[in-house]
Amino acid sequence: MEINIITFGKIAEFISPQRISLSDLSDTDALKAYLERKFPQLSSIKYLIALDKHVIQVNSVIKNNSTVAIMPPFSGG
Amino acid sequence: MSKNKIKNIFVNGSINPLFIAESIAKHSSKTQIGGHSIFLGQVRKDELQGNHVFAIEYTAYDDLALEKMHLIREEIFEKYPLSCMHVYHSLGRVHSGEICLFVFTSSAHRKPAIDACSELVERLKAELPIWGKEIFENDTHQWKENK
Repeated sequence: MEINIITFGKIAEFISPQRISLSDLSDTDALKAYLERKFPQLSSIKYLIALDKHVIQVNSVIKNNSTVAIMPPFSGG
Repeated sequence: MSKNKIKNIFVNGSINPLFIAESIAKHSSKTQIGGHSIFLGQVRKDELQGNHVFAIEYTAYDDLALEKMHLIREEIFEKYPLSCMHVYHSLGRVHSGEICLFVFTSSAHRKPAIDACSELVERLKAELPIWGKEIFENDTHQWKENK
């Protein structure tokens, strides 16, 4: 399946928005492990994942064509 | 009042003090109001190793931020007897000394307006996917962290 990755804040400085193909990943825990292997800088940062515009708290199933946002801690205001 | 429509809170660049004055003036016809509470966030010229913050550049996950703000708005309206609630947040570059956040609540008596305003500021700083990049005078930058 293919998914869209979008990134924000300091994470956008080393992971650009991209469409990626995943063959053996089906949930967000697996995706996190994959991303942290591919982008080692990510593993030293606190981040949140939003799956199709829902911030996820627990491991969730990723569907084909999902948009996954990788977000560092918020700092608005 | 359209409490149920998703409103845009984002303003390009800094929030003009004249806009704030006009927003206050618009409430003169709402004569059931007895108290307003306003919070204004201003970009602070922080110093880091001799370098000063020149501006903050804000970016957001717009869709998610507006949906989340909509939920917060509904919850605050449920919790407090408010007549009005207005929230504006900057996107893009805001120079130090300029206004980047404007939260404005009104009620018949002061307490709900004050409490709702304060709770709104806390919640939107913690819950809205917005990021501030502090740009220094020497063109370096660091990502803002909320305390």
